[in-house]
Amino acid sequence: MSLLEIRDLEAGYGAVQVLWRVALRVDPGEIVTVIGNNGAGKTTTMLAVTGLVPPWRGEIAFDGRTVHGLEPPDIAGLGLALVPQGRRLFGAMSVEENLLMGAYLRRDRGVEATLRRVYEILPRLRERRRQLAGTLSGGEQQMCAIGRALMARPKLLCVDELSFGLAPRVTDEMLDVLVVIRAEGTSVLLVEQDVELALAVADRGYVMEGGRVVLAGTAAELYDDPGVRTAYLGL
Amino acid sequence: MDFWLQIVANGLLLGGVYALSAVAFSLEWGVLNIVNLAHGSFIMLGAYLTWMLFTSPLRVDPLLSAPVDFALLGGLGFLMQRLLLNRVMRGQFFLTLLLTFGIDQVLVNTGILLWTADPRAVTPAYSSRSLALGALTIPYTRLAVLAVAVGITVALASFMRHTRLGRAINATGMDLDAASLMGVRLPVVFALTMGLGCGLAGLAGAFYSLNFPFSPQIGGDLTLRAFVVTCLGGLGNMYGPLLGGLALGMVESVASVVVGSGAVDATAFVILVLILALRPQGLGGRAVA
Repeated sequence: MSLLEIRDLEAGYGAVQVLWRVALRVDPGEIVTVIGNNGAGKTTTMLAVTGLVPPWRGEIAFDGRTVHGLEPPDIAGLGLALVPQGRRLFGAMSVEENLLMGAYLRRDRGVEATLRRVYEILPRLRERRRQLAGTLSGGEQQMCAIGRALMARPKLLCVDELSFGLAPRVTDEMLDVLVVIRAEGTSVLLVEQDVELALAVADRGYVMEGGRVVLAGTAAELYDDPGVRTAYLGL
Repeated sequence: MDFWLQIVANGLLLGGVYALSAVAFSLEWGVLNIVNLAHGSFIMLGAYLTWMLFTSPLRVDPLLSAPVDFALLGGLGFLMQRLLLNRVMRGQFFLTLLLTFGIDQVLVNTGILLWTADPRAVTPAYSSRSLALGALTIPYTRLAVLAVAVGITVALASFMRHTRLGRAINATGMDLDAASLMGVRLPVVFALTMGLGCGLAGLAGAFYSLNFPFSPQIGGDLTLRAFVVTCLGGLGNMYGPLLGGLALGMVESVASVVVGSGAVDATAFVILVLILALRPQGLGGRAVA
């Protein structure tokens, strides 16, 4: 059974339709990427999955439950966490307070242990734990946003534009973190404009254009696809 | 010298009154983005509740009725937010302004119907006593207000930082969508924040009633002062209202001597404009990039 399954999803803003019959799935233990140019509908898909943009039509099932029409807190409670585009950290809170906000819905006694694990995976955050999140560098902010999402111990981590505004070295570091997260049992849905990077870590991928999924396949299939090579890899 | 020391002490004590009145207003504005025009009327309701309990056969002391005011007006504020204001939270700013203005009018006129427009006062035995510190005279009731203002500010800052609900309220004030993604149920947090704010306004009313005569129409002036104090102290800093309140109290106290009592308000507002021109984020607020 797929962890996330989207069928015939249509959504938009106001009267403007952005997504047209989008279908994709993420299986347990997978890293799946959605690639495409600006305006392709990648972020809107993410926002619809997390409940921030209400779907118009279609079905979104997560972990065997229909989440269509649920509020973001309900969806977060099922184990779906988003690292949003632009990070959306709580800038006037410390790094540690941001991380604790990530565990807001947890009532178990394991929050401290998760915090220690996040600090192990992202050691820079431990050094900066008392610093206001708004004063971090771009890379550190992305680490904090990922750490905050991990604090929820999600089954699926959705990451919107991981590499945006980051130095290549920092992006590589972040991709390594995603691989570690996957090895620990969390699936990843990665929306990314840097196609080469995305395909390097993904198991499968989808190409979106004009609000539609136009191509799907394994990472290797997409990498070898002539259309993808020309349009996104410049080869 | 003693004269000026007394003026400074008066300013600090008056500042305590302003700070206590503004803590809740600043919280509501900072977190909910609501300039609550009914804020002063909640202080008025707190004052009347205190008066009713004080003049009842039980003769409840105002210091004991303060927690009752907090609980009852907190509940009323929670319901006001849950049933009315939550309906327009994602709408334009002026909608909440208009709605709280309407609620204020209802509260003022209900107050006049229930208690008439005659001024009332709460005067327990200790209300006329003062602490003598050398040549300084410090009324106990004013000292109590300053102590409560400092205590509530410190407690509120600690609550916002170290508790799960406090962090959720803080996060909601910074980014609604991000807070929602963390699992924060915004309508509930909105209502709890307004409940906390109105409860604190009620508590401020108990202490107001100990220091000043009051009528159902005092709310407008109190809301205006709270607005000025919040602008002076700056949004986004839990200590802002205390800082702004003390600054306004001090300015008014000194101005009453230097320019005369007739020009106190004008002087205070000129200084407000000057401070905001030099430091738009207020004395304790964060600069916005």
